[in-house]
Amino acid sequence: MWLRIKRTLRSLPKWQLGVLGIFFGILFLTIFGPYLAPFPTETADPLSRLLPPGGKHWLGTDENGMDIFSRVLAAPRTDVVIGVVATFISVVLGAPLGVLVALYESRGKAGATAFAETFMRLLEVMQSFPVFVFAMVLVAVFGGSITNIIIAIAFVNTPVFIRLVRSEVLSLVQRPFSEAARAVGNTEMRLGFRHIFPNAFPVVMVQVSVTVGFAILLTAGLSFVGAGVRPPTPELGAMIASGAKYLIIEQWWPALFPGVALGLTVFSFGIFGEILNLAMEPRAVRKDVDRRRTAALESGRGGGETAAAALPSALSAAPGGETPVLAVANLRVAVGDAGGQELISDISFSLAPGESMAIVGESGSGKSVLVKAVLQLLPYPLEVTSGTVHYGETNLVGMEKREMRKLRSREIAAILPNAKSQLNPLTTVGAMLVSALQAHEKIATKAALARAIELLEMVGITDPELRLGAYPHELSGGMAQRVCLALALMYRPRLLIADEPTAGLDVTIQRQVLDLTRNLARESGTARLVITGDFGIAAHYCDRVAVMQAGRIVEANQTQALFAEPRHPYTRHLLSCVQV
Amino acid sequence: MRFAAYLGLRFVFLIPQIVLISLITFVLVRMLPGNPARMSLGPLAPESAVEALREKWLLDRPIFEQYGAWLEKAFTGDLGESWVNNTYVLDDLIQRIPVTIEIITLALILVFLFLVPLAIITASHTKNRIVRFFQNITFGYGMLAGALPDFLLGLVLIFAFFTHAGILPGPEGRLGILDFESPFVTGSVLIDSLIAGDIDNFWSGAWHLVMPVFTLAFVYGAPIFKMLRSQMEGALQADYTVYAEAVGIKPRTVFLRAARVASGPTIVITGVVVMFLLGGAVLVETVFNLTGLGQYAVQAIVTADYAPLQGFVSFAAIFTMLVYLAVDLVQFAMDPRIKAVGSR
Repeated sequence: MWLRIKRTLRSLPKWQLGVLGIFFGILFLTIFGPYLAPFPTETADPLSRLLPPGGKHWLGTDENGMDIFSRVLAAPRTDVVIGVVATFISVVLGAPLGVLVALYESRGKAGATAFAETFMRLLEVMQSFPVFVFAMVLVAVFGGSITNIIIAIAFVNTPVFIRLVRSEVLSLVQRPFSEAARAVGNTEMRLGFRHIFPNAFPVVMVQVSVTVGFAILLTAGLSFVGAGVRPPTPELGAMIASGAKYLIIEQWWPALFPGVALGLTVFSFGIFGEILNLAMEPRAVRKDVDRRRTAALESGRGGGETAAAALPSALSAAPGGETPVLAVANLRVAVGDAGGQELISDISFSLAPGESMAIVGESGSGKSVLVKAVLQLLPYPLEVTSGTVHYGETNLVGMEKREMRKLRSREIAAILPNAKSQLNPLTTVGAMLVSALQAHEKIATKAALARAIELLEMVGITDPELRLGAYPHELSGGMAQRVCLALALMYRPRLLIADEPTAGLDVTIQRQVLDLTRNLARESGTARLVITGDFGIAAHYCDRVAVMQAGRIVEANQTQALFAEPRHPYTRHLLSCVQV
Repeated sequence: MRFAAYLGLRFVFLIPQIVLISLITFVLVRMLPGNPARMSLGPLAPESAVEALREKWLLDRPIFEQYGAWLEKAFTGDLGESWVNNTYVLDDLIQRIPVTIEIITLALILVFLFLVPLAIITASHTKNRIVRFFQNITFGYGMLAGALPDFLLGLVLIFAFFTHAGILPGPEGRLGILDFESPFVTGSVLIDSLIAGDIDNFWSGAWHLVMPVFTLAFVYGAPIFKMLRSQMEGALQADYTVYAEAVGIKPRTVFLRAARVASGPTIVITGVVVMFLLGGAVLVETVFNLTGLGQYAVQAIVTADYAPLQGFVSFAAIFTMLVYLAVDLVQFAMDPRIKAVGSR
């Protein structure tokens, strides 16, 4: 806990630390503010009305002659307390209700579902009253005492927490730990409140800090129109309202100082919420993970040296002096800014026309970064720092985007992992295929659709006409992979780069897709670079295999030779894991 | 077909929801402190007259009977009378709704003209200097807009641009004190003055709208901006965008398709913002002395004026329900993943 707080604080930019200081300052004033005020905060003094800032009254005096500095010091007692207490009540009311509704719903009994549905519709009705007006009416009905303002604000914010907790619990209840807790024999109530709710707590806490800020704004707004806290109680909204009339005649201090205080209060609560979010989220410790990965990279380098001597011959393409389709030479990729951690270190290999090569490695070894680097698709902070990627005679590194686009699909095609996530969820298969065709040639939509049907037939999709109108979520994983294959092979490219082409597919579908890819590629004489974590696929479908570890290729050879006598200890290690 | 089924389902829910809203409002409004009959007749009226008036207004009957009577009249367009101003609520609403709708609509237009393009531009991760510059500016905007109360921004603007610089008109309403309103057609100052061919009035109205509209757009555009920006950021880095680029699809198409995915949640948040704008209008109208719905509601609450309050809250709630409905329909039409049954 303390460690996490410390770590979060260290990762914050300076200005956020400053705001955090203001936040705690405001909390301090909430408790001690009224005692620190140098002048009485609720007593009018007709002799010193509207004095400008300076002298005895640092921030001037208001229309009743009260010292503004004193009232600003005392005001958080009203505003922050209302905001915090009202939010607390909303949570205490809303969270258990949310848990109960979700538990009811998750059991899936007909009556329970109907109850939950009705309940949610009722909530919708409650939430369709404009929040501000609703709070105003509530305060008007029950009277403007601070207790009633708190109740009104708590009431309008409760549905927010019911909804939030409900949706959190609904997703958590399906997690394995909930199943386990239930299997061990916990009652539904215990399951909900002891096991599930604590897991929803971080999300609730973040919403709490947002809601407190909002509740303070609401309080100030209500008081500003005269439907909230009444003068002379020191309250920022009411103070701004009383100063507003004088703003026009150049007497700005009665309105602006409370205004700045209000803005700072809400602002600091908002920033506090963001910091809280950071502290609660495990991602906040990412910096450390990065450091560990760097360490792994460095240790990997030491081991790589032994086999390095054997590399060049095995890495170059098949003999005969034929120009390779793809030649990667001394490629390095690093994070562009922030010190430039290297993800790909000095990789060289080449691929002859029609040849197939596998790059095998564990996840995190930099395989996918290599693919993106070859395809010129590195995401923003990553950059090629040195080396070349030659396609035939042309170097792709640093090529104009427009020129590169002409090569894509026509000459160099790509298949990326998890086909379903590679297709835009709101674009139909047909639209995708047509736009791909129209990006590379002048073709009427109708003709393109006809071509699209042919392409889908080619990759073995039944009822291709029907599938044209399908969205990605309506496709199975294998079907989506076939669509991607159709996109990759529509121009019989000379080079196909397939990154984990079977990730997330059933074993039988895997085979079908791989066989199809190989056969189609052979037909059109396409060279293949297959990136995989699976030695079986490499052995079965590729002529050569390269093994990647921590951003470098540690060993490469003809497939049979590599499996027969692995030279690098890492290769041996990987193989021993497979051959059980 | 899918769309028709969804539409039907939503309308089935809409009617009971609206009835329920008006009922809740009715009960709440009747709970306002004070005796409206006494307030209407004044403190000197004899007790018997007050009693007679209570009877006439059905105030002595059970609340459900009162509600039944109100509902019956409401269906014929009679929303009752204000006891304070002796005006018909329906007429008041017709006068005032356009004022509020005008500033809300203009604020939304401002948001879509400036903030939406800005959100889209700043969403891409790039080293481009200009984009970086805008990213820094909008970062500041995001921080500021979340914390700045709308009424405070309005006051600061008045102080800066009216009191000090003297460029913009002060909080004197929709037109200058010496301007005469153009004949009522739509209720919008801008449109009505154009219909009347009164260019002076048009410019006067436009100048008077600058600050209130800017205030609303600045404060309430922030959630739309933030949502669109983060959604667009996600969509531009998503697998499907990288893949589309790898396939060689035209950059414009890739961008538009990413924007389409990003627009879904943005439309949802826009619906929520419209609802908040209605509340924000209450404050901004108070600050700038605009005779819109917000001011009307504040007056009605302060004077315990049943009928106007009932009319206003019913309108606001129905308006909100319709906005939500529109949002859901747009989303449903745009996103094939949403199923007709069990929405949300």
